[in-house]
Amino acid sequence: MIVVEDLVHVYPGGTRAVDGVSLRIEAGERVAIVGQNGSGKSTLVRHFNGLLRPTQGRVLVDGVDAATLRVAELAAKVGLAFQDPDRQIFSGKVRSEVAFGPRNMGLAKDQVTSRVDEALAAAGLSDDADANPYDLGYSRRKLLALASILAMRTPVVVLDEPTTGQDARGVARVEEIVGGLAELGRTVVAISHDMAFVAESFERIIVMRDGRVILDGTPTEVFAESSWTELASSYLEPPLAARVGARMEVGATPTEASLVAALTARAGSAIRTEGPAAR
Amino acid sequence: MLGGYLGPLVIIALNLVGATIAGVAGRLVRVSVLLTLPIAISVVLVSVFTRAGTTVLFTIGPFDATAEGVDFAAQTLVRLLAIALSIGLFGMTTDPRAFVLDLERRRLSPRFAFVALATLEAVPAMVERAGVIQASQRARGLDTEGSLRARVRGVVPLAGPVILSSLTEVEERSLALEVRAFGRPGRRHLLWRNPDSTAQLVARAALLLLLVGSIVGKVTGAFPQTP
Amino acid sequence: MLELKGVSYRYAGYAKAVLQEVDLTLADGEIVGLVGPNEAGKSTLCLVAAGLAPASIKGALTGTLTIDGEPMAGRKTHELASRVVVGFQNPNTQRSGIAATVFEEVALGPQNLGLDVPEIVERTRTAMALLRIEAIQLRDPARLSGGQAQLVAIAALLAMRPRHVILDEPTAQLDPAGTRLVGEALRQLAAGGTSLLIAEHKTDLLDGVCSRIVAIDGGRIALDGPAGDVLADPRLDALGVQPPSRVRLQRAIDEAGIDPRTAAAAAQAMAAVA
Repeated sequence: MIVVEDLVHVYPGGTRAVDGVSLRIEAGERVAIVGQNGSGKSTLVRHFNGLLRPTQGRVLVDGVDAATLRVAELAAKVGLAFQDPDRQIFSGKVRSEVAFGPRNMGLAKDQVTSRVDEALAAAGLSDDADANPYDLGYSRRKLLALASILAMRTPVVVLDEPTTGQDARGVARVEEIVGGLAELGRTVVAISHDMAFVAESFERIIVMRDGRVILDGTPTEVFAESSWTELASSYLEPPLAARVGARMEVGATPTEASLVAALTARAGSAIRTEGPAAR
Repeated sequence: MLGGYLGPLVIIALNLVGATIAGVAGRLVRVSVLLTLPIAISVVLVSVFTRAGTTVLFTIGPFDATAEGVDFAAQTLVRLLAIALSIGLFGMTTDPRAFVLDLERRRLSPRFAFVALATLEAVPAMVERAGVIQASQRARGLDTEGSLRARVRGVVPLAGPVILSSLTEVEERSLALEVRAFGRPGRRHLLWRNPDSTAQLVARAALLLLLVGSIVGKVTGAFPQTP
Repeated sequence: MLELKGVSYRYAGYAKAVLQEVDLTLADGEIVGLVGPNEAGKSTLCLVAAGLAPASIKGALTGTLTIDGEPMAGRKTHELASRVVVGFQNPNTQRSGIAATVFEEVALGPQNLGLDVPEIVERTRTAMALLRIEAIQLRDPARLSGGQAQLVAIAALLAMRPRHVILDEPTAQLDPAGTRLVGEALRQLAAGGTSLLIAEHKTDLLDGVCSRIVAIDGGRIALDGPAGDVLADPRLDALGVQPPSRVRLQRAIDEAGIDPRTAAAAAQAMAAVA
């Protein structure tokens, strides 16, 4: 779905934000991109919808070189929800904000309305449809920014730090949305600093540092002890479950569920080897 | 007749020389012309046709264009240009912070210093914000590339959000400033000073003399009056 | 000591009070975490504790704010500034816009306090060292990344050496490294006697740094106690606050009904790595 070939991006001031990245993201994958601020994550994903153009290398979206398409054309394939909702939201009404995208796509009025309703429902904002976005709290504004992208029904959805600043309900809602998109077969790419969220909701994690990819694999692989030195060089820490699992030598357990499963298995085998008398 | 033009033309020439030395001549001329254009057009239209005069050049409908009118319009235009170039050159060659902080050193209230600087910052900040908002709109399918119509269409949805988000930021900004004791009365000790070179002192004295001389000349009638 | 007693606050033009009957005490050297769902009143509480509401933000305050024994009612904002500062989430709005370098930005607060130059420089240098931003001291504050800008904003507040520091989601824009850095800096600050109130969603951060946690919901204090107790309190989830990883993991293990020996070993391992 998205192919990145030897991508280099140098900003006007000379900063080499992306320094040779090649990767493939298949349709339907759920990918998280993690790394320090300045590692090139935001720069990378902005090439997917054409907001940034490569200095060298190229990015193919659905087989077509992104450089040959206008941002508006790419917007129908790749939706990007900005990290700061206040830099994305500009309407005076929630409903019109969400309708902006579908309208730009030239959809008929009733289609726009149904998409808006659907997106608001997914984001849990149906009751706020007629509110002013600035009367909503930050959490809900962030969900509004997300809903605006959902309404476009793009095959690829890119989320820039979707859980930052969210309270527990907001995080749960984001997790639901990611799950929902995956069920519909959409490709989800998320930038995040929340290692636990990433380990639980995504099947592939890409770790970036200094504009390059230093780790790329499943949560189990990326958070396994063998990767820890690499992670540490990026000042990243694996989720607690992974650290506890490693300490107890029950294998790579990036999520709570996997740790519990591993502990249950170990407890089970302990009972078998020691026998009932030992208990 | 040249009398009414001499002063402004000298000022224009001096500004252009200064701008060339500073390397901003091209930008200065562009900006100054752009800024004076709206006023210039209305001045020309009004003066050329309504100025009382005897020498008629041509007629459009009930309006006579007189040579006196053209003369007046031209004199006004060079004055406008002289003003625009002077202010423009000052703006383009002066570091606003150094300027305002130096004023504060000379006993200007720090509050004024802040307002002046913040105003100067306001435009680049708005431009930057406009860029970000436009990026988010493009990311949702608003086509701003390609045809001219598309580009124009791209500007319209910007105006509201840029202004609105600028305003909503104002409250937070002023709060943050108050937290840092901004409103405290009394002077502050400044971290650095910008001493004048001898050349700058001489230039400043010369300009002051020119200013005083011009006012005296105008008031005593030594300078030609505008028609 | 900073004390709020029976505080209710209603913004001008709004019918409903955002804070109701809030009692909160911040002792010197204490680091108190403030948690709660969004729109529970965390930000308002921060503004009221800093005295900015109602000194700067129009509204009706009932109850009292007392700092170091003196009531703050009717004080002007610059009088408050020498005693208590509050930092906000958005680093861009906290940038003064009149400083050419990060150094000058951080020095602005002490400068406004009317201190003499050696004192200004000393306070600025210490604050920058605490947040480890000496390397960017000559950069243009407007050209920094969000994370760097936030560190500068916090340093700018700390340079004023207030006795009480209130931070509203200081790590919102920061990556894990930045978050740890801020946690470190705040610990050092508290060790020096400054009292801190930090509103945050990142309970993992608060877990390592706070001695006390206060939970707010619907404008009222719902929980107030030692950090360990409050973070493990089952009522926290109902409030819409995500407990720290340690607590969540422990619960998952407990719920799975793993045998006591393995569970005990797991608890030990958790204590060792956390």
